[in-house]
Amino acid sequence: MTGTIDQPLSRSEIRTLVRPDHVHRRAYADPEVFALEQERIFGRLWLYVAHESQLRNPGDFVRTQLAQHEVLVTRHQDGKIYVLHNRCPHRGARLCMVDSGTSRLLTCPYHAWAFRPDGTLAAVPHPKSYPANFSLADPQNHMQRVRSVDSYHGFVFANLDDSAAPLTEHLGPMREVIDNLIERAPDGEIEIADSSFTLEYHGNWKLHMENANDIFHPSFVHSSSVAPARAAPANASILDQDQTREMLLANGFGPTDWEGIQLTGLAGGHTFMTSFYKKGVLVNEQQDPVMQRYRAALAGRIGSERAAAVLAMNRFNNIIYPNLIINAQQQQMRVTIPLAVDLTQVHVHCFRLKGAPEEMFHRAIRFLTTIGSPASMIFSDDVEMLERCQQGLVKQAGPWVNFERGLGNDRREGNGSIGGAASELPMRVQFEAWVNYLTQ
Amino acid sequence: MTLMTLPYETQRDVELFLLREAKLLDTGEFEAWLALYAPHGIYWMPSKPGQTDPKGVASIIYEDYAILAIRVRRLLEARALVLTPMPRTTHLISNIEVTPGTDGEFAAEAAFMCIEHQGDQQRLYSGRHTHQLVRQNGSFRIALKRVELIDSDGTHSPMTIPI
Repeated sequence: MTGTIDQPLSRSEIRTLVRPDHVHRRAYADPEVFALEQERIFGRLWLYVAHESQLRNPGDFVRTQLAQHEVLVTRHQDGKIYVLHNRCPHRGARLCMVDSGTSRLLTCPYHAWAFRPDGTLAAVPHPKSYPANFSLADPQNHMQRVRSVDSYHGFVFANLDDSAAPLTEHLGPMREVIDNLIERAPDGEIEIADSSFTLEYHGNWKLHMENANDIFHPSFVHSSSVAPARAAPANASILDQDQTREMLLANGFGPTDWEGIQLTGLAGGHTFMTSFYKKGVLVNEQQDPVMQRYRAALAGRIGSERAAAVLAMNRFNNIIYPNLIINAQQQQMRVTIPLAVDLTQVHVHCFRLKGAPEEMFHRAIRFLTTIGSPASMIFSDDVEMLERCQQGLVKQAGPWVNFERGLGNDRREGNGSIGGAASELPMRVQFEAWVNYLTQ
Repeated sequence: MTLMTLPYETQRDVELFLLREAKLLDTGEFEAWLALYAPHGIYWMPSKPGQTDPKGVASIIYEDYAILAIRVRRLLEARALVLTPMPRTTHLISNIEVTPGTDGEFAAEAAFMCIEHQGDQQRLYSGRHTHQLVRQNGSFRIALKRVELIDSDGTHSPMTIPI
C-alpha cells in the first residue's frame, strides 16, 4: 500500500485533505486515515446493528458487525436488548459461531463458562476450584457490553462511545424515513426479511456511500443493462410482472429526466434523493390490483388522506451517516461495513410491511435480488467502478479527487442544502461531516 | 438403483447435453446457451442451502427465459464494465445422476466446479446443480436449472458468467 505515513495525522493536516471542491486521495487510500475513521467516526457515531423483528423473544440473538468488532445483539429475560462483544472473557475465544439463534445461555465451548443474554456470567464448571474472591457477579468475568444501545421504531443502534449524544439527536430529520417506512405498513409494523446478501468489494467504504446518492452515473455505468432491457419485449417474463426489466430501464435516463430529482444534504452528513423511480417498479403500478388492495388496506387503517400523504413521500436512497442506507418506498436497506481501508462489506436487506398483500413482499424480495444480489446486472457494474476507483486512488499520481459539479448551484435551506440531480452535493456534504468528525 | 432404470443411451444423451451446455459457457456462446432453455425455462441460484421458496426468499438469480435473454445480451454488450476484460471460465461437471420423470422429462443431478479467470484474478465456484430436462426434437430443453453453490449463503464478489 502506498501513501502510508509514519506520524499520525494532526487535526490541521486532516483539514487540508478536504477542500470545498476536492478531497485528497489519502481519504480513501491511507491506512492511517482509516484508523482515525474507526476511532472518531465508527467509534463515536450510532451504528445500526439489528432490527427488533429478529429479536422477538428472550434468548433470541443475531451476530453482526459493529465497526470492526463482531458483536451479538441479544434479547434478555428482562426484555431489554444488549450488544455484547463476541468474545469469552475467560480465555478470549470467539464465542458464537452462528449468525442467529435462540439460546437461554451462551456457553463458551472451551471451558463452559455460561453467559446470560445480558452478558452476565451464570455459571462456571467446578466453582470450588476458583479462589474465594472469584465472583460470578464481577463484571470482569462478563461478556463485554457495548453500553450505548438504543432503538428507534425497531431499528437497533449501538455506539462504542459511552458518552454519545442520544440516538434521536444523531438521526435528526432522517427519522422521517424510518417513520415513513413503518407508516407504509397497514399494521404499523415491519419485519426484516430472513434472507439477505453480503457483498464484498476491494475498495474504501466511502466509495459505496457516495455512489448511493450519485444520480449522474447510472446513464454511463448501467448502460449495459439499460440497452438490453430496452431491446427486450415488454411483459415477456412469466415470473415478475416485468419488474426486473422495469428496474433495469429505470437507470436509462438523461438530463431531460432529471427534472424534479432533488438531492438534499443535512447537518451530520446525512443525505437523500427524491423523485427517482417516479413510476415505481411496475409499468402500470397505479392500476395494479395488488397496489390497489394495498392502498385500500393502508387507507382502512390510517384514513385515505394520511395514506396518500405517506405514499407520496417519494424518496430513493436515504443515507444515515456514516453507513446506513434506507429506501422506504421499496422497503430496502443497506449497511456498509468497513473492514480495511480497501476492503468493504455491504449487507443488503429488505422488509415486509405487515398487513400488506404478500405480493408486496415478493416485490421487495425481487427488488433486493435485482439490485442487491452478487449477480445483479446493476450493482455488479457499480462495484466494478468502486474497485477501479480504489485501484487508481492508491497510486501517487494526481492527489486530488474532484467533486465540484453543481457547487455554484446548490442552495442552503433550513439546516441543510439542496442540489439538482447533476450535483455532487451528497459527496460534499459527506466530506464536510467527515472532516468535522475527524477533527473533533 | 434409479440409474439402472434408464437405457444407457438416454443416460449418455443427457450427459452429453450437460457437457455441451458447459462448453457453450466456456466458449462464450451465450446465445446458443440460452437456446438450450425451454420457452419458459428457469435458471435458479438460491441464496440459502435447501431453499424451496423463490418468491419470499431472495435468490442470487431467479430468472426465466425472458430475463435470462436480457442477461445474455448484457454478456455480449461491449460496455458492461464488470465484463471488462471479459472473464473466461472452465466449467467442470461430474458425478452425474440421471433419473426419469414423467412425460419424457428427466432430472440430472451433478456436482460442478467453475474456475473463472478475469484480469489477474481467479475465482472458484463449486456445488451441485440439478437440471429438469424435457425432450425436444431429439434433444433436450432445460425447464429448470437449479444451481446450489456450496457457499450460497456466504459473502460474495460480483458474479458474471452463469454457472
